Amino acid sequence: MTGWAEKILDIDLTAQSYTTYALDMEMARQFVGGRGLGARLLWDLVGPDIDPLAPENVLIFTNGPLTGTGYQTSNRFSVSTKSPLTGTILDANSGGFWGMQFKKTGYAVLIVRGKAARPVWIEIKNDAVAFHDASELWGLRVFAVTERLGQSNNKRNVLCIGPAGENLSRIAAIMNDRERALARGGPGAVMGSKNLKAIVVEGSERPQIEDKDLFKFMLYETRKLLAASPLTSQALPEFGTVVLMNIMNNIGALATRNHQQTQFEGAEAISGEELTEKYLVKNASCWACPIGCTRISKTDKVEGEGPEFESTWAFGAQCGIDDLPAIIEANSLCNDLGLDTISAGSTIACAMELSELKYMDSDLRFGRADLLAPTLEAMAYRRDVGADLADGSLRLATKYGHAELSMSAKGLEFPAYDPRGMQGQGLLYATSNRGGCHMRGNMVGPEVLGLPKLIDRFQVQGKSSFVILHQNSSAAIDSLVLCKFTNMGVADEYFARVLSAVTGVQYDTGDMIKVGERVWNLERLYNLREGFTRKDDTLPPRLLNEAPTEGPSKGWVVQLEPMLKEYYRGRGWDENGVPKPAKLAALGLAGL
Amino acid sequence: MPIVKLYANLRLVAGVKEITVPAASLKTLLSALVTEIPALESHLFEDGQLRRYVIITINGHHITELDTLLAEGDQIAIFPPIAGG
Repeated sequence: MTGWAEKILDIDLTAQSYTTYALDMEMARQFVGGRGLGARLLWDLVGPDIDPLAPENVLIFTNGPLTGTGYQTSNRFSVSTKSPLTGTILDANSGGFWGMQFKKTGYAVLIVRGKAARPVWIEIKNDAVAFHDASELWGLRVFAVTERLGQSNNKRNVLCIGPAGENLSRIAAIMNDRERALARGGPGAVMGSKNLKAIVVEGSERPQIEDKDLFKFMLYETRKLLAASPLTSQALPEFGTVVLMNIMNNIGALATRNHQQTQFEGAEAISGEELTEKYLVKNASCWACPIGCTRISKTDKVEGEGPEFESTWAFGAQCGIDDLPAIIEANSLCNDLGLDTISAGSTIACAMELSELKYMDSDLRFGRADLLAPTLEAMAYRRDVGADLADGSLRLATKYGHAELSMSAKGLEFPAYDPRGMQGQGLLYATSNRGGCHMRGNMVGPEVLGLPKLIDRFQVQGKSSFVILHQNSSAAIDSLVLCKFTNMGVADEYFARVLSAVTGVQYDTGDMIKVGERVWNLERLYNLREGFTRKDDTLPPRLLNEAPTEGPSKGWVVQLEPMLKEYYRGRGWDENGVPKPAKLAALGLAGL
Repeated sequence: MPIVKLYANLRLVAGVKEITVPAASLKTLLSALVTEIPALESHLFEDGQLRRYVIITINGHHITELDTLLAEGDQIAIFPPIAGG
């Protein structure tokens, strides 16, 4: 069978040893790769008795059958683990170059288990695996480690943690290729708990393609479609993702000051238009990506990738800050420290509200751009006020007796979209298997941008079917693993065809959606096994009970309960959100 | 008079962020807008129809009916196709 690398590299850090074995190809056919394959392997490896920061937790790095083939955006890879932030199943995926290089080593999966006695870094060169002493690297920041270990985009790629991961911050990211992040849910802390500083990959194997003619045709067709779409050929490359700032503000769905408001008076100053006009140096792309949405930005102090929309929002509107250079610098600092920008910004915003209400004693106040950088530094090193913020907003707010001020679901901080102005997004946040997240079927497409077609963002009845469809589709794309922006120019049907071309296994669009549904249900089962219940499918009281008093979303709260009931029915789950046996059997999950 | 706000590359094409356009309906407003700034026409229309993915809001609410009537002081926002997240 072609496409899949077909081998698993299984590393035990405690023993500093490794084994290799064959990938279960039936499992691969069912779960494809990336997020799906990672979830299936994690189900077997990490049960409910295991603490996320214990040596028994594992990091499962996965690529997919398309990875490294050269198909558009086939650069991504995924990490799966039990989240130290939420306690849920977690996967995070990232672009850049590391995923492609990982595939070229000949492995589909890298499992890292155990804990090294002293800091180590791992070097994988095709079949050769070496453990190196990382004593001199421990304490260094991401940019320095990446350079020291010889990052070279098409030849040798570095993945590492920064001080935040070393200090077990539960919002620590794993960084790759210097400024790309496996960000959400704290995978950096899991890596830090294992005393693992970095993984360097260097490979020379070429992914095999079963039907080369069909693959070439799909490459050509996809190139044509991405070039023809105004979204992928103009919108994303011209203004980057931050272009969403003004429209979200315009419609009153831009979470502001820890979701106290839904419009930010400083939105224009932190918009994609402003970033492009004053701070953009050039665009950049991940490997094999013709879209090129990455910004290289420059201020007096820093030059580097980003910021993306969510990061700009987190340090901007969410913190009441309209100082774009300070936001760019905070984004860069997070990359260097190895922190998730969304969780970091939103946790600072939570601290700002706690402090303004005098529940917490700190200088943090909305609008204090001057405190962003020192607070992030303090978080990564668990110093001073940062010690309270290092583990995310829910633990922070709980410590000060006001858990309701954490703007999160299942403990994961929300991104920019205030769901009181986007009902479907509210349902999405409440039901997301890794917590409050927009990468699990973002409803900004249909509810705001008209992609593929505009639906009423305030509509409640019938909304769950859109959410389910988008969740399944995103789980399928995350299992391929491709960039979701590709889907803005290319329909799901193309993904099924190119997957068939690469693997020789026939998939159609229905098969792909079923892969996504299978993955979603497996993740649900995992969380249920961890003790999560229907009561965890919820949102903070602010979003359920406090309506905005002005703006286009005035008077709206999230009508979660009716959507949730409809959602469970639509999913084939019982009234408690437990998948029914018939649904599990239909998805090939019976017995789990 | 209704105030029109332009975003993303529409600003670059028009050379302004904001313009006041006298009009009683969205349809007449768009017509007056492209008369005032002809370079916008190809960015907003294709074969006489509003281009796919162009987003128009009035006072922050999406509008898909061009016959929508306008009131004094209405704020119309026009976005070209945009994406992100």
